[in-house]
Amino acid sequence: MIKLKNVSKIYGKNIKALQDISLEFSEGELIVLKGVSGSGKSTVLSLIAGLSKPTAGEVIVDGKKISKMLDHFTASYRRENIGIVFQKYNLIPDLSVEENVLLPLFPLNLSRELMRQKAKRVLEIFSIAHKVSLMVRNLSGGEQQRVAIARANINDPKIILADEPTANLDEKLSREFIEILRELKSKKRTIIVATHDPLFFELDFVDRVINLEHGKLL
Amino acid sequence: MSKINFYLLEYAYSYILRHKNKNIFIVTIFTLLVALLTTLFFVTSSLRYELKERIANQSDIIIQNYKAGMPAAIDISVLNKLLEIKGVTAGKLEIDGKYYFKPKESIFYLLGVDAFEMQNDPMVIKLLEKYELSDSEILVSRNVQDIMHQAYYKEYFNFIKPDGSLQKVSIKASFDVGERVELKNLIIMNKDTAREIFGYGVDEGSGIALSVANKNELESISSKIRLLLPNAKVTSKDELLLEYEKLFNYDSGVFLSLFVIALFTFFIIIYDKANGLSSEEKREIGILKAIGWCIEDVLHAKFYEATLLSFFSFILGLGIAFVYVFIFKAPLLGRIFIHENMLEIHNFQLNIHIELSYILLIFLLSVPVYIAATLIPSWRVATLDADEVMR
Ligand SMILES: Nc1ncnc2c1ncn2[C@@H]1O[C@H](COP(=O)(O)OP(=O)(O)OP(=O)(O)O)[C@@H](O)[C@H]1O
Ligand SMILES: [Mg+2]
Repeated sequence: MIKLKNVSKIYGKNIKALQDISLEFSEGELIVLKGVSGSGKSTVLSLIAGLSKPTAGEVIVDGKKISKMLDHFTASYRRENIGIVFQKYNLIPDLSVEENVLLPLFPLNLSRELMRQKAKRVLEIFSIAHKVSLMVRNLSGGEQQRVAIARANINDPKIILADEPTANLDEKLSREFIEILRELKSKKRTIIVATHDPLFFELDFVDRVINLEHGKLL
Repeated sequence: MSKINFYLLEYAYSYILRHKNKNIFIVTIFTLLVALLTTLFFVTSSLRYELKERIANQSDIIIQNYKAGMPAAIDISVLNKLLEIKGVTAGKLEIDGKYYFKPKESIFYLLGVDAFEMQNDPMVIKLLEKYELSDSEILVSRNVQDIMHQAYYKEYFNFIKPDGSLQKVSIKASFDVGERVELKNLIIMNKDTAREIFGYGVDEGSGIALSVANKNELESISSKIRLLLPNAKVTSKDELLLEYEKLFNYDSGVFLSLFVIALFTFFIIIYDKANGLSSEEKREIGILKAIGWCIEDVLHAKFYEATLLSFFSFILGLGIAFVYVFIFKAPLLGRIFIHENMLEIHNFQLNIHIELSYILLIFLLSVPVYIAATLIPSWRVATLDADEVMR
């Protein structure tokens, strides 16, 4: 369902983040993208999410050329199909847990009731409902990550992209995160995790580990 | 943007609160600027309005006689001569003037009226419809009544004539001058009574009031009269307006420097805003895009943010100016706009009169400018790739 066709990404004049990469992921797969810092993992995720456009090649998701779409379409594509868990969580610290989780839906102007239901549901799934009205800045790192995961799942996206999800977590919390991944995988989500955390490499439910080096596949 | 999106509105509101310090500063400057400008416009437009009102009640041309530089009586024969001038449609001998009441050190303004003559002032017309005055009766304003009371005159009053004898009159009624503070010391009486008090002869008056059919001829007729009566002071309606306008005073350094500082700061804010967002602000836009907002959504929220802030400041500034000018009567700054003597000698008062076009002008110069200065840099950031948030 996700296809990268001869994708290259060059930043500035000649920072070659990706060089002629072709990849294919099918529905329900859990893929681990591994590689040292600077190898191009985040770049792959950005391209799939439509956050940036490839310098050459094509990114195709569900038959749609993401790399050729206009802003308006990539935005709704992201909102409906992609949930991103960022390394730095990228929450808004001065908003409440509920507001952060609902933020992707703000432009849709849905009813208050529907919004409340949606928030309640994801917050319960990811066990953070008891902090619903707390400000995010007052949460621990692990709790913030749960909020970030809840936000990524507010629309039940088919694709989950996680960038170094355990970089800021201790081992216990990292294992908890892995359990969350297992849950999501059982719901047939397509999941791509970019990481160099060895915890991920030997998991029984990981379908593939893809190795990146200097923007190329190993 | 047809329907208000309250989620975006709340987001914008919380965004303002989250950047409290910066926004308090912006609101302060913005409000100050609007308040200063509006104060200026409120004061000038309400004074201008008051001027116009006063002028409206004036005769077209007023002629006063001078002898050796002193006001002197004018004879009815002069009136007859003036009535022959082409374009002059009517004229009358006026008998009015100031009367110094020594015991209370007050100056009364005596106006002689004739029930059969046309009056200019609507207030006087109303009073004459209500009361019929005999030669021994006068009408006094509330203020005059109070002053007379303090000197123990309740039912009657004694004027002292130029020859030292007394003219006894009874106080028929008192009246309220309302907003017409320039008339607060007015006493109305029959022309013959006034003539007695001022010591004028039967055919004499304090001045002549003329009506002119075509207002464009005011100037040429005035100059004709000046040639005819070299000793007289001739004041036409439009000259009166000019004379009053001279009393305005815009050139004060205090106001100017306050204004310049506020304006300057406002432009620094605009410049600072237009010049780009902080990395934190950029990141937040990146996050919003990454979770599915499109450029338009970001701008929509920013539009609310800028509108909330600038509208709030605008209304606040307007309110402050309103209270300052019309409720507190512009203390301190008022003196900047108006010469000292304008308020005292001419009894000017700041009555509420607002010209919407000025307010609209201030609005257009501030609110849309601020909104644009907020939207443009946000738009620039929002159109960039949002992959920064991945790092
Ligand atoms: N906006 C950008 N401008 C310039 N260079 C960039 C930009 N984004 C990424 N790069 C460069 O592209 C290369 C790949 O970056 P990328 O973030 O994909 O690596 P990564 O594998 O995610 O690394 P890490 O493990 O540190 O997150 C790096 O050399 C990086 O410096
Ligand atoms: Mg990375």
